[in-house]
Amino acid sequence: MGLIRTRNALWIAAGAVVLIALPLVVTSSFAISIFIRILLFAFIGVAWNLMGGYAKQLSLGHAAYFGLGAYTSTILQIDFGISPWIGMIAGGVVAMLASLPIGWLCFRLRGPYFTIATIATAQALMLIFLKFRDFAWGAEGTTIPNLGNAPLMMQFEAKAAYYYVALGLLAVGLVITWLIERSWMGYYLVAIGEDEDAAEAIGVNAPKIKRDIYMISSFLTALAGTFYTQYIYFIDPATAFSFNISIEAALVSIVGGIGTLWGPVIGTVLLETTSTLLQSWLGNSIAGVQLTVYSLILMAVILWRPTGLMGMMREAWQRYVSRKPARA
Amino acid sequence: MWETVAQAVINGLLIGGIYALVSIGVTLIFGVVKIVNFAQGEFVMIGMYISFFLANQFGVDPLVSLVVTMPVLFVIGVLVQHFLIRRVLGPNDMPQIFLTFALSLLLLNLALMLFSANYRTVHTSYSDEAFHLGGLYIPVAKLIAFVVAMILSGALWVFLHTTDLGKAMRAAAQNRDVATLMGINPNRVFCVALGIALALAGAAGSLLMPFYSAYPFVGQVFVLMAFVAVVLGTLGNVIGALVASLMMGIAESLGIQYIGADSGLIVVFAMLLLTLAFKPTGLGGKAR
Repeated sequence: MGLIRTRNALWIAAGAVVLIALPLVVTSSFAISIFIRILLFAFIGVAWNLMGGYAKQLSLGHAAYFGLGAYTSTILQIDFGISPWIGMIAGGVVAMLASLPIGWLCFRLRGPYFTIATIATAQALMLIFLKFRDFAWGAEGTTIPNLGNAPLMMQFEAKAAYYYVALGLLAVGLVITWLIERSWMGYYLVAIGEDEDAAEAIGVNAPKIKRDIYMISSFLTALAGTFYTQYIYFIDPATAFSFNISIEAALVSIVGGIGTLWGPVIGTVLLETTSTLLQSWLGNSIAGVQLTVYSLILMAVILWRPTGLMGMMREAWQRYVSRKPARA
Repeated sequence: MWETVAQAVINGLLIGGIYALVSIGVTLIFGVVKIVNFAQGEFVMIGMYISFFLANQFGVDPLVSLVVTMPVLFVIGVLVQHFLIRRVLGPNDMPQIFLTFALSLLLLNLALMLFSANYRTVHTSYSDEAFHLGGLYIPVAKLIAFVVAMILSGALWVFLHTTDLGKAMRAAAQNRDVATLMGINPNRVFCVALGIALALAGAAGSLLMPFYSAYPFVGQVFVLMAFVAVVLGTLGNVIGALVASLMMGIAESLGIQYIGADSGLIVVFAMLLLTLAFKPTGLGGKAR
């Protein structure tokens, strides 16, 4: 047991060194922008997976929190001159608070109808930001003033700096997931995901646990929103509340392995690499290619390997060592 | 004053008939097979494109093309049930939700690749015709769509209540295990349910074509309406879905009239949120 843990720690340390050194070795700005996309979507996937994966509350409305995070920090920065680093936390808090009434409504439904209710709330928020121009620039959106190299305002000349911010976010998300996974809350979440009524029957306070995990998940998703807006220097309701964000958050987790620590990360690596290859092969000429391929991958995973890539790797590993894996 | 209101109510009622065809399909699948078909809107889209191409290539009137779209979509429904949905039926929500969701994404993006995002319209002799009744204006194409939609809904009700197969479907909806013990083959019943639901979606597509444009995302408009109507009308309840759809059409139309042209969806979402807040089991009572 101790040996295994040391070996895992060594693997993680080696991985961390590689990831930290990566922008020093690979300096192509195109490659780094792809790495940033992977880190960002892996982080969003990790945030989604906490609630969607462990507790099986399958939200397709996480764009709501991505957008709230993006708008909170941008409004604070443009109207009040507050640094997006503070705005990022503020956005997280706003998202957390918003998740309370949204969750109160959506958790009244279960299964697929919960999913539909989350889609509707994210769409409703987008409509609100489109309609009310007074506080958020309406449909045109706005560009973020470019201050050159201003690390305190989360603006950097070097693309690698954004890479490290995204890497930091992903690390935070993974550590939080790891801590939750091995705490009593992790077990409660899995119990709710397996059978909510049975979990309640043995004394799990399901409404409270679901509310809490929704708050954590929303908080993290909002951080990604702030980061993304700072990274592309632009915000409008269609990007900030894009349904594609909600879709990709769920997709990377399911393809990678729903309810596992590393699932969203592997899922993002696979999907984003596929999408990059497709784009370099076909160009951006044909609309719809990327999501066509994503949906085919998703269908294949659901029909043949519902445990995702993590499940496939675990089975392969089991066959390889021909003994039970140490991980429970 | 009353004429503006009455006109808005009529407009809403007429489009509500189309919403009803889509929602009845969703609620039928939910009631019998116990899954939510996220791709229902995309089947409306397929119906619209079939009608569009038949009209464009062979000059077939969209209403006549009903006799093509409905059987074609029925067969697609049987195939979808037999080769896809059957494999994910079980206690686990995730595969069921994301299988039909993936199907929706796939069909939408295939349409985008094949037909581009352009709007396609069919102009018929009656597209611009209208009855004038007092001060009221009733477009012929929408009236025909509404009447046919009501006939199809009524036919479905008769089918469910008088034929053996229809009774078997209702039995399977009430209790799958007991129905199986009574000699009902669940997969066959599910195939028919999917077939009928998709045929209704296809019919909606054909009926829309004389006054509405086809484009890859068109299904999303209707499926969102249908989901709200199905919650509002109590999950799995055909009459509930019909009544709720008509109400939603009217509410949307009044919203457009009195709040603004782009506020139809806001009204719909408001209705969904109010339903969830105050009557999450829908107007018909107990859900689950």
